[in-house]
Amino acid sequence: MHKRGLAFYASIYRKILIQDLKSKMSYRADFIISTFGMIMTNLAGFVTFMILFHNFPTINGWDYHHMLFLYGFSLVALTPVQCFFDNNWNLRFMVQSGDFIKYCFRPVNVFFYFISEVFDVKGLGQLAFGIGTIIYAWIKIGIPVTVFVIAKLLVFLLTASLFMIALMNFAAATCFWIKGSGYVMVIMFRFKDFAKYPSSIFEGIFKIIFTFIIPIAFIAYYPSLVILEPSNVPLLSWISPLYGILFVYLSYRFWMLGVRKYDFTGS
Amino acid sequence: MNPKRLLAITRAGIMESLHFRLGIFVTLFANLIYLVLVYYLWKAIYDSSGTAVVNGMTFTDTMIYLILATALFNFLEMFVVWDMSRSIQSGKIVLDLLKPMRFRKYTFWSYTGNHIVQFVLTFIPTFIVVMIVTKGAIPIGLNLVWFLIATVLALMINYNLEMLVAPICFYTESTWGVNIVKETIVLLLSGASIPLAFFPEKARMIVQYLPFRAVYDIPLSILLEKNGSDTWHGLLSLFAMQIIWLAVLTLAGNLFWNSAVKKVTVNGG
Amino acid sequence: MNEYSGNEAVVMKNVCKDFKVLNRHEGLKGSIKDLFSRDYKTVSAVKDVTLTVNRGEIIGYLGPNGAGKSTTIKMMTGVLEPTSGELLVNGKVPYKNRTENCENIGVVFGQRSQLWWSLPLIESFKLLRDLYMVPEKDYEGMLELYRSLVDIEPILHKPVREMSLGQRTLSDILAAFLHNPAIVFLDEPTIGLDVSMKAKIRELILGLNKEKNTTVILTTHDMGDVDALCKRIVIIDKGTKIYDNDIEHLKNYFGSYRTLKLKLSDDTWEEYLIDEKTTDVMDVIMEKQKEKKIKDVKIDEISTEEVIKKIYEGSAK
Repeated sequence: MHKRGLAFYASIYRKILIQDLKSKMSYRADFIISTFGMIMTNLAGFVTFMILFHNFPTINGWDYHHMLFLYGFSLVALTPVQCFFDNNWNLRFMVQSGDFIKYCFRPVNVFFYFISEVFDVKGLGQLAFGIGTIIYAWIKIGIPVTVFVIAKLLVFLLTASLFMIALMNFAAATCFWIKGSGYVMVIMFRFKDFAKYPSSIFEGIFKIIFTFIIPIAFIAYYPSLVILEPSNVPLLSWISPLYGILFVYLSYRFWMLGVRKYDFTGS
Repeated sequence: MNPKRLLAITRAGIMESLHFRLGIFVTLFANLIYLVLVYYLWKAIYDSSGTAVVNGMTFTDTMIYLILATALFNFLEMFVVWDMSRSIQSGKIVLDLLKPMRFRKYTFWSYTGNHIVQFVLTFIPTFIVVMIVTKGAIPIGLNLVWFLIATVLALMINYNLEMLVAPICFYTESTWGVNIVKETIVLLLSGASIPLAFFPEKARMIVQYLPFRAVYDIPLSILLEKNGSDTWHGLLSLFAMQIIWLAVLTLAGNLFWNSAVKKVTVNGG
Repeated sequence: MNEYSGNEAVVMKNVCKDFKVLNRHEGLKGSIKDLFSRDYKTVSAVKDVTLTVNRGEIIGYLGPNGAGKSTTIKMMTGVLEPTSGELLVNGKVPYKNRTENCENIGVVFGQRSQLWWSLPLIESFKLLRDLYMVPEKDYEGMLELYRSLVDIEPILHKPVREMSLGQRTLSDILAAFLHNPAIVFLDEPTIGLDVSMKAKIRELILGLNKEKNTTVILTTHDMGDVDALCKRIVIIDKGTKIYDNDIEHLKNYFGSYRTLKLKLSDDTWEEYLIDEKTTDVMDVIMEKQKEKKIKDVKIDEISTEEVIKKIYEGSAK
């Protein structure tokens, strides 16, 4: 029995990624159309945002530039899930058709093997758009540029991305139990549109739900407060990295439980 | 076309949708959560604005509009483009095209079954909940009949929009890209994500005449008796717009489909 | 690669597998009723199967559709957990040690390619080499062996999606043997292939089995595969093992059966399966002669295909 550690997985991932990118080059039209699609979604999101602010100058005490920062933050936080975990979208079809079984015949982690198959380049356009938005808002708000602040920004962007990854893992894995659960992923992905608004808008029981159970509040709001309000950072912001890791871990276990419980009747 | 056969396909469509029972309940639940999100967002927006009416829309108006738009969106959701690209990539399309009934007709009627299930399971409950919560803010009268007619037209327009986009799959494997462009445009310009009333004046003038509005905005305007639909003149002009777009899209869809199918036959799939 | 030194590749003792399925009702009304129904029934896909497969054997695992063949394979590959009973593959419980089990098995599932769709075959091979941590020397040796058995050069640099079905199947089989596993599961490996490709694939499987002493568990509906490859066959129907013995024995078992072929006056051949214990061949010929003139007569031994058909029919009663 071979031991397969982190170094093994990293090297395999790199190799699959290189091969995947190579083969993607042969689909140039696909790349152009996908990139165009990505630009369109981002533009549409931005237009919606602008229309909202055209009618309402502040939302819950947040002005235009602070909201813009939150918006950019949520876009960047979405990039990892889009680039690295995009194969989750295919899970339902693979499970239904029975093709999923092929991932269970290799001596590597099923989740890893499945996810590694797709690296999605189109997420990079969104990354650029998000970074641009953050920089613009950063300048307008006048946040000081120090190494410390930038380091904090990176750490908390990464934190925020963990929550999106976990949510999509959970949503995708529902297909192991529920036939016709495709909509769960669609709607979960649409939930992210609400990450760009300050989570102080939620009240009562829903504040708890959207913070801890469907942690939309962690996709942008809490992590970004570390940068936006350095003098008044809530405890939840500080613990968000830990909670993010826990959440990803739970989603991974859920996904793997699905694989174990599934009866593979599709074939 | 034999109406009995159409009915059979629709029936099979209904049964197929019901087959995914847990899926239906989960979908209902997910929708509920989504609506809660919409509610809090707009409540905060209106609370911050300081006025009760923005661009002629009160908070209640906006909520009803958005909730019903979401319900309508779910009910009208089709995956023709996805199905089609899968069918093309697997080569199944050749079989689909060989079926005795014309592919597009078959798709339409089997989706109709699905739509009926969705209408009963998502739209009607949502409508009832909205009625209860708003204590009857939606006018009840002839508008319900007009709304149903407008919805059927919207369904057909939506189907034709899908069918206009679907043949692109014959030319490119980039289904994701094609689909996301379509969805984004429809969502934004149809008023499903933000009511058209909030659009800036000039943008609204343009959007008003585009076909996307005919899918969500027109049925909802008629239901809520907005946009002059409470007068005969206004009502008829809204219907006229739907019918004109339906005709144009059907024609364009037909032309595009036929030329795309020709390409398949030439390449042998 | 394999530390297990026992002589049995697979040991199954009283293995059962049950599935819980919703009892569905018919019609539109039934569909609506099902929406709220909690009426489940248990379906036994595999019932009390005991089976030992020895190292280096090629066994044909046969049965009609839905007999429980693929459920058994899925249990052996560690994808499904048996409901009860004992199952050891290479001396280990596959479900509990899935990753480890996968190192020592290779799987080909019919027309479902497991290779990277858009990669040239050689790149898929390299990735598999890394996934299975095959030492460079062994990998080169295996490629050498492949070259001696089939002409792989034309497909080596071709992306899988551009291959013909035959080439794809060939590639999948080669990929399944690449890490020199102790057992290879082949599910319908020749389905949809033309005669010459079928022969090529069978030859390859035999060659690999001989060279590497690999155990092969083959499920198929093609009796040509069985005749060409298997010494022993196991037949399962409705989840129960109904036959497990040598292929020769199988023919003896039905040894009193003959296929009678009659060429009639209009130059058409008619076939009759006759059990000599109960019916006399001459009687049948005489009987037929009264109806039509017989130009030619042939009596053949029963074919494997007909034997299997007989067994399926027997178990259906």
